Amino acid sequence: MEARTASTTELVDSGKKSNYHRSRLIKSIIFKIVMSLLILIVVFPFLWLLLSSFKYEKDIITYPPHIFAGKYTFQNYIKVWDTIPLLGYVKNTVVFAGATMIISLVLDSMTGYALARMEFKGKTMFYYFVMVTMMIPFMVYMIPLFIEMNKMNLLDTYTGLIIPRATTAFGIFMMRSNFVGLPRDLDEAARLDGLNEWRIFTKIMLPLSKPTLMALAVFTLTNNWNDLLYPLILTTTSSMRTLPAGLALFTGQHISFYGPVMAGAVISMLPLFIIYIFAQKYFVQGSAMSGMKE
Amino acid sequence: MEEIDTSVNKKRSFFRFWNQPKHAAYLFMAPSIIILLFFMVIPLVGTLGLSFFDINIFFTGTKFVGLDNFIQFFHDQRAINSMWHTVYFTLLETPTQVIVGTIAAAALSRTTLFNRFSRSVFYVPVICSLTTSGIIFSMLLDPNIGWIPYVLHQFGMSTPQFFRDASLAMPSIAVMTVWKNFGVTMTIMLTAIQAISPSLYESAEMDGANKKQQFFHVTIPQIIPSLGFCVMTNLIGSMQVFDQIYVTTAGGPEFKTESAVQYIYSRGFSAPYQLGYASSVATILFVIIAVLSISANLYMSHKEKQMR
Repeated sequence: MEARTASTTELVDSGKKSNYHRSRLIKSIIFKIVMSLLILIVVFPFLWLLLSSFKYEKDIITYPPHIFAGKYTFQNYIKVWDTIPLLGYVKNTVVFAGATMIISLVLDSMTGYALARMEFKGKTMFYYFVMVTMMIPFMVYMIPLFIEMNKMNLLDTYTGLIIPRATTAFGIFMMRSNFVGLPRDLDEAARLDGLNEWRIFTKIMLPLSKPTLMALAVFTLTNNWNDLLYPLILTTTSSMRTLPAGLALFTGQHISFYGPVMAGAVISMLPLFIIYIFAQKYFVQGSAMSGMKE
Repeated sequence: MEEIDTSVNKKRSFFRFWNQPKHAAYLFMAPSIIILLFFMVIPLVGTLGLSFFDINIFFTGTKFVGLDNFIQFFHDQRAINSMWHTVYFTLLETPTQVIVGTIAAAALSRTTLFNRFSRSVFYVPVICSLTTSGIIFSMLLDPNIGWIPYVLHQFGMSTPQFFRDASLAMPSIAVMTVWKNFGVTMTIMLTAIQAISPSLYESAEMDGANKKQQFFHVTIPQIIPSLGFCVMTNLIGSMQVFDQIYVTTAGGPEFKTESAVQYIYSRGFSAPYQLGYASSVATILFVIIAVLSISANLYMSHKEKQMR
């Protein structure tokens, strides 16, 4: 846009060219300063958290606060495993978020595939059913879900945590849009070759959907990894808590020891952050997809 | 021999039946539909049902009470306050996040190295949980050791108590939520802005529109649908605010920041464990959210028509 403005202005008003360039330069500098300030606001809390998690408690509790300390230590990362049952939280989170991600990828793509490429009775009805469930907030049905799980003895179990999250309307919607976009004659040719429906789906359609599957994978992983209310409702014992639920219960409003809590916070976000560094475009794609309107 | 043949035939015809797309579709969808039905739709109906019962978490002394729970709600000051706090949070958070996210998207819409870097950075808080954000911000805002009170003090301002101050707690939580989530809005708006055809800007330029005019007369009308989507999802999300409050203030001071979902949670899952009454509050909140989102939707589609 700026480049275009420049060329028109040059044609119309070549006399003020240098003046124009100067104002453009100033604008671009102001823009960069404002953005850098915003970047600082976003990054500083994380950097400070990371640095402080390596500080001695007495260096964290100082006023005025300091960014750097004289000495650093791993002590918080050692202590955190004793003060908080962090290892259990990590394991629970990995099992819950990981298994949910894998199962929901399978189920969502199956349903999305059927809705996108198969003709059957009641297709529109099923489509609207899925779309409507996308709008139901969790808090509206959490109490009966808790009762259901309680009656089935699934509270405090991985099964109980995984099953209700094993499919999502958003995932189905995302996979459906993906399959709609694949060329029509692909499956017809495969059918003529005698491949059955399941093989067409797994051998031809799924390999072509890798980017969308990746985007959906990181999307569901992030959601479940970070969720607080859901695991809080479906787990009652401390040994089944996930990272957010466990950390939240341990900190609450009264933080009595800062170092270990900060170390715990770092550990809880590190895995997703590492995945983000390598698979950034898939994270962004997931968010962008959520904004797509049919 | 013949028996085997018929069984093979049976198997084959069975397979053939389910291999037709019009039948196979049901097999493909079955797991998802069953899960959605059993763990979402049935519980949803259950919430409405439970609203009419006096039922606790131990299932002792369950009895039908008709509309009593709803009548009780209107006499329950703490419940009504929690609704107001939720609305207050939504009014603070939703517009701020949508505006910040849209401006960031518009400012960073050109793909330069600097812009791409900024976008990646702004998305980082999105992958950080609200729990972790809450932990970070309770420390940054801590009046005794926090950076933000310290910086304010350096500029000669008084150092407020933020999360412990009844009037500042909710705005602080809202600002923290914007910090965490504006990357989502930015991403969605960025996609919308980048999809605008350059020819629209070219013709606007020929008509002599400056950049500001271009933003309001070309960009905004083109991104109205996405803008509407962001407002809607934010609105619905904000009305269910829970995590960030639970971690930072836990509803305090004196329930001044308690949100509706938090009230439902504490009423149902801590003493007095009244699942029936909590369900009726959930039903009321659901109705409010539904009315809000439907009217927002109608308003947006009306605006959309007007703009075109």
